[in-house]
Amino acid sequence: MKNKSTFIKTVFYSLGFLILIFMIYYAVMSLLSPSSQIANINRDYGYKISESSKSDERIISDSAFISMNREKSFYQARVLMAESDSICLALNLSDSSAILEINGVAVHKAKISEIAISKVFQKADEYSVTALVATPFTVENDYSTLRKEPVMIKMAPKDTSEYKPDILPDTTNSESVNYIFEMTNGIRLYVYQTTGENKGDKLALFMFDLNDRLSNFVHNLKRLMDFKVPEYHPSIKIRMAKADAKIIYRALPKHGMISVFW
Amino acid sequence: MESEGKIKDNPDPDKDNSQSNKNLVSSDPETISNQGETVQEKPVPEPSDDNSELVNLLLHFWQKIYTNVILRLIIRKILLTILIITLLIFIFSWFIYIIPYLQETGKGNKHQTINKTELKNDPAYKKQMSQLAKDEQKLFRKFVAYTPGQSYLVINTTDNRFSLYRNKKLMREGFCSTGSYTRLTNAEGSRHWIFKTPKGRFWIQEKITSPLWVRPDWSFVEEGLPIPPKNDESRYEYGVLGDYAMSLGDGYLIHGTIYKRFLGMPVTHGCVRLNDDDLEAIYNTLNIGSKVYIF
Repeated sequence: MKNKSTFIKTVFYSLGFLILIFMIYYAVMSLLSPSSQIANINRDYGYKISESSKSDERIISDSAFISMNREKSFYQARVLMAESDSICLALNLSDSSAILEINGVAVHKAKISEIAISKVFQKADEYSVTALVATPFTVENDYSTLRKEPVMIKMAPKDTSEYKPDILPDTTNSESVNYIFEMTNGIRLYVYQTTGENKGDKLALFMFDLNDRLSNFVHNLKRLMDFKVPEYHPSIKIRMAKADAKIIYRALPKHGMISVFW
Repeated sequence: MESEGKIKDNPDPDKDNSQSNKNLVSSDPETISNQGETVQEKPVPEPSDDNSELVNLLLHFWQKIYTNVILRLIIRKILLTILIITLLIFIFSWFIYIIPYLQETGKGNKHQTINKTELKNDPAYKKQMSQLAKDEQKLFRKFVAYTPGQSYLVINTTDNRFSLYRNKKLMREGFCSTGSYTRLTNAEGSRHWIFKTPKGRFWIQEKITSPLWVRPDWSFVEEGLPIPPKNDESRYEYGVLGDYAMSLGDGYLIHGTIYKRFLGMPVTHGCVRLNDDDLEAIYNTLNIGSKVYIF
């Protein structure tokens, strides 16, 4: 009896110790990934001194230069999007607006109510981040609580006796609107609807967020099994009215382009 | 051998709990046996007249719990369960919430911006800034030029609304009807059609007055009618498209409707339906070649 109790205790403590070790290991590895992401951004998009243009390296730290360069990058990205002849999204985080554009024409403008940007963008060199956003991001995958195309299946009647005229479509705005655009460069854009006091919307957002966090955790676990640093995705999280969020999600093509300015 | 004052463990606690409880209450509470383990107990403070009523009540309650093995066991198990649940929640939160939060809070090498007058007076700096300003202006002008100065129409298929612009100013807006996103399959399952309004940039290719609707195959399939041969008389219907129609190509039209109550809803087979007044205004404003942006 006493031996059994001691055995259970030993197993319990060993298990606890192993979990603790794993928690620390996971934490260390996860905290390393943002730093490596910053290093990657600085390396890939950082200022490179070329012999042909002997420009002063100090200029890239100048606030006036940075500000003007950022604006130039935003226009550059939008011109590139306009040339693509597709429906694109321009996020102007400095004036909290999201603009849908087709061939450079603003077709819909939405107000962003909340913005949260990953610290990576603030920690990396301003010049590198500006260079990163000078090219529009391309959506690789999207995860959402609503369908991109709400297709309804209808079987044709065999003859006129089976024919029933169409009933009015369901236009109740009941589905919650939360989605994530994962870009080809690993950056993620989270678009959440403003929930207000609606408990159903709050619950839907909580579940969607939890699901995303769990899938990230499972993905990171798999990487850890291969002794790789967990993936870190710099993110831009925005909140806007449900109707606007829905319009943007439905309008943007599967591999649409997004430009960002802040 | 158990020493005096200790209570020997009951092998079947359910069987003789009342007896053991009696023993516990009546015995010296310094040492109490609990499931084969001997525990050294501290004396329980007893209620006295010096304490307030509330303190006495609490002490009395505490004494009751302290001297009752079953109650203590239950409380112990509850506390253990709470502890385990808390630990599990903490471990779960660690991976799901705490680590992602910590990833966003760590310190990094923030690149410092400078604002030096010495640098601003440098001719190389001035040259580079002027070049940058020129580039920015050039890009801005290029971007602004994309928005047509002439009239154009914007159609929002999610909200089923339209906006008519002239000289970059909003002239008129209202409801329309766009594609229903219905996927129709014929009774044999051999053919299917998806009724959605295409998105992107289009232009008016043709303007038609008193348009005639040539019913396509799906129109018959949808009603369970046999598909007539091409150019059959049953395919021609007058008046259902309103007074005007504008072609966007590939058979898609902007036209009027007899189903005005459906305006603002996604009910069409891909065309854009408008009410009579809006249709007339748009027909009169847009020319052949005018842009139509659908999203």
